[in-house]
Amino acid sequence: MKAREPDRSGRAERDGVGLHWDCYGNGSPAIMFVPTWPIVPADVWKLQVPHFARSHRVVTFDGRGGSRSDHPAGEAAYTHDQYAADITAVLDATATASAILVTVSRGAAPAIQFAAEHPDRALGIVAIGPAVPLAPQHARLGVPFDEVLDAYEGWAKYNRHSWQRDYLGFLEFFFGRMFNESHSTKQIEDCVGWGLETDPAVIADTHAGQMSSLGRAQLRALCARVRCPVLVIHGDEDEIQPHARGAALAEATGGLVTIVGGGHGPMARDPIIINRLIEEFVDMTSPRPAKRRWVRAARRPKRALYLSSPIGLGHALRDVAIATELRQHHPDLQIDWLAQHPVTKVLESRGERIHPASAWLANESAHVEDECAEHDLHAFQAIRRMDEILVNNFMVFNDVVSDEHYDLVIADEAWDVDYFLHENPELKRFQYAWMTDFVGWLPMPDGGDHEASLTADYNAEMIEQRSRYRRLRDRSIFVGEPDDIVPDSFGPDLPGIREWTEANFEFAGYVTGFDPADVADRDEVRDQLGYRPDERVCIVTVGGSGVGSDLLRRVADAVPAARRLVDGLRFVVVAGPRIDPATLPRRKGLSYKRYVPGLYRHLAACDLAVVQGGLTTCMELTANRRPFVYVPLRHHFEQNFHVHHRLQRYGAGRRVDYDEAADPDGMAKIIADEIDRPIEYRPVETDGAARAAASIAELV
Amino acid sequence: MRATEPAASGVVERNGVGVYWEQFGSGEPAILFLGVDPIVSSRMWKGQVPWFARRHTVMTFDPPGNGRSSRTDDPNSFGDAEFVAHALAVLDAAGIERAVVVGLCQGAEIAIVMAAECSHRVIGVVAINPGLVLSSRHPHRRPGDFDGVLDSDEGWAKENRYYWLRDWAGYSDFFFAELLPEPHSSKQHEDCVGWALDTTPEIMLAYCFSDPPTARDDQSSAADLCRRVRCPVLVICGDQDMCQPPERSRAVAELTGGELVVFEGSGHIPVARDPVRVNLEIARFVRRIGFVDRPVR
Repeated sequence: MKAREPDRSGRAERDGVGLHWDCYGNGSPAIMFVPTWPIVPADVWKLQVPHFARSHRVVTFDGRGGSRSDHPAGEAAYTHDQYAADITAVLDATATASAILVTVSRGAAPAIQFAAEHPDRALGIVAIGPAVPLAPQHARLGVPFDEVLDAYEGWAKYNRHSWQRDYLGFLEFFFGRMFNESHSTKQIEDCVGWGLETDPAVIADTHAGQMSSLGRAQLRALCARVRCPVLVIHGDEDEIQPHARGAALAEATGGLVTIVGGGHGPMARDPIIINRLIEEFVDMTSPRPAKRRWVRAARRPKRALYLSSPIGLGHALRDVAIATELRQHHPDLQIDWLAQHPVTKVLESRGERIHPASAWLANESAHVEDECAEHDLHAFQAIRRMDEILVNNFMVFNDVVSDEHYDLVIADEAWDVDYFLHENPELKRFQYAWMTDFVGWLPMPDGGDHEASLTADYNAEMIEQRSRYRRLRDRSIFVGEPDDIVPDSFGPDLPGIREWTEANFEFAGYVTGFDPADVADRDEVRDQLGYRPDERVCIVTVGGSGVGSDLLRRVADAVPAARRLVDGLRFVVVAGPRIDPATLPRRKGLSYKRYVPGLYRHLAACDLAVVQGGLTTCMELTANRRPFVYVPLRHHFEQNFHVHHRLQRYGAGRRVDYDEAADPDGMAKIIADEIDRPIEYRPVETDGAARAAASIAELV
Repeated sequence: MRATEPAASGVVERNGVGVYWEQFGSGEPAILFLGVDPIVSSRMWKGQVPWFARRHTVMTFDPPGNGRSSRTDDPNSFGDAEFVAHALAVLDAAGIERAVVVGLCQGAEIAIVMAAECSHRVIGVVAINPGLVLSSRHPHRRPGDFDGVLDSDEGWAKENRYYWLRDWAGYSDFFFAELLPEPHSSKQHEDCVGWALDTTPEIMLAYCFSDPPTARDDQSSAADLCRRVRCPVLVICGDQDMCQPPERSRAVAELTGGELVVFEGSGHIPVARDPVRVNLEIARFVRRIGFVDRPVR
């Protein structure tokens, strides 16, 4: 799912060539993200667009020769003049009088030409890794492009004939060199994917046209005519365009920021610093009178910002429990929540203060639902593909903690905050407590070696981040005990997960989001909920996101058979805030509820529960000592491995795989078997919230 | 010991009044910190000068009546035109064509006058708690109290010409306690009182009743003055300022199209009490000016 959809889209026509453009937001000044080599589409700016669209009009378009724009034949269609004129055409088509132009690589020269020719319309240029012939190209790229070669190894793949023979091989090589920073799998994968959608013959024309049409003297003359501010950003390890080229462009036009250790695609690999640099440039270039405030340090109230992962409603309950305990230690602590639906639903019902900037967050639950197939969620890939949402949401977080003064940030599985703080450690300006209930990305067996190498790479990056920036986290709290940690390894040549987690985390025990005393008298709770003593109640629930509707349907299918096997059996389905019960089948003996604030009371009162493999619901049932059947989402590594391991330790619940659950008679028998199973669970600790809060309280 | 010594210093003479200036560092754009109110010397900018001198040519001067400038009790020496002329003479002495001009209280008013009337010399104004009469006075400064014979010298009744002549040190002690409402301001208070004792109530009376009248005397001319400013303006406002009502800062920002930063819990002299934040705000402003005001090649 995209973090933000365009508000308007259209085609600009110029000399018979159609250009697809998208326009987002409407603040001033406008920012145009200029196309580069059309081997990648405008999506290459996906980590910038949502953030800047919040306060600017953002215009993007696909460069001619690629993606949704036209692909005219012959290299003459792809000269810099053409690309510069396309900028004008798209500004006109979107009725944008003037704009700041942000470019990467081959976008720089057309933008400079445009700025030289239209000084009134170019407010500024940000040139990232500019492909400008103001300094010599890397010698190793001096491969004859048009000649047939004996072999196409290494940079020899950068050849028209090689592309016809093995385009994928070229794409993998080229983008591997473009993103030469370690742990760049996602960036490479994105670009290779985009490249595969292009036609190598057209791309060969665009290459020839772009690279042959602008000489050094001509570019120097254009630079001399540029009147607007220019900022060059260049990685000093850029293997595609030498840093000396960026330095020479800056010398001729403006300022230079060097990304030390950076490659050719920092807008994708180091999006936070790139966004901050662009933002500062825009701010400097277009001063806008504004009223700001600064509160003297001694007068600031103590404030905490709490981030609770929206993937699964369980985090919200345990986080409210921890916040409540934290207030016992610090009654004067103001806690704001940066949160999104459905977490906000829980927080609102508890009277918690939701920070207004929460409205700017792109919704992670919606993305997860978008990723879901039938009872199937590849959790690792879903989070990996959530990259633009994570960047957008980190920028929102960073704006909040920059503009306001927080003493403490508590992040319960807020992956964006933890990852990008380690990538941008200079942005830490508060005490920081991290919490999670699992450690380690684990591959699903059917993902093969490729997925195993990806999860290992993600784990390795996390381990390196923790090792290098110990100071980032002031607390690392594992919600559970050491025995809850899976006995696996992070990957080849990496430590064991348990060994590493024990050395790097403190353990709060499990945190239940409810007061056990509240449900101690089960008969009374049943009475309050309207469950009669003579009926047997089976609760069916799939957590807070919308991904569970398939399982609800499967259970509904098993209702008639199950009712034949169990006397007085009644099903209550709690669909959750993101599933509309009207879309689900009706059955005798089956009733629907949408969101129930005290779900834990229903779980405490029931005779059996059928649930997904989410940790919170399963552990509530374990704590309440109720029989339950859990059906992990397919390909969800956390539910299949981490949660399953923990439930086995507690001796709780019966795992049923979805294929089994999809057979109505089989499922009915499982329900009948489990509803009378004696309970021998290991007791669940009840002081987890207090232990976590006591540790965090020391930071204030 | 001073954190940084001036690279050059001198005295500019005008109409028999010698104004002592100092120059620090080098770099564009130059920054001029104004000395206007003779109750303090240019040392009031000591929290700013050394850091800005690392990147900029920094100019300061003592107001007539304090520091190393002449002592005079002639009201003709203290009109707006005189201060503007002193400031320009100081820039001329260092060969500086244009500068960012920073002023506090009446100094901010002079910075606005300079920007309105000598726009080619001013590339930006930082106005800290500006003393332009764009709102009514604080209620504790009652009309007539200054010139009247009062039966009390408690509190703001000390702001009275007879009390000044009787007990200038007592007034200074009271006045700067009011202007530094932030807790734990003992050092800043001690500095200010020390500078105040380097002038006299007679000089202060001449300053307060300068001739000809100044832009500060009439609300509509003060507003007109602000509207004539074309350069970028940053206004820094302490919301606990007991000298200048915060409404005046808001009005200056609005009338000049400038940017307003409100310091919550801050009094009249944030340059001394919150120097780090003031410096960061000024630096950001100067940086932005340098960015937009880019030489054409």
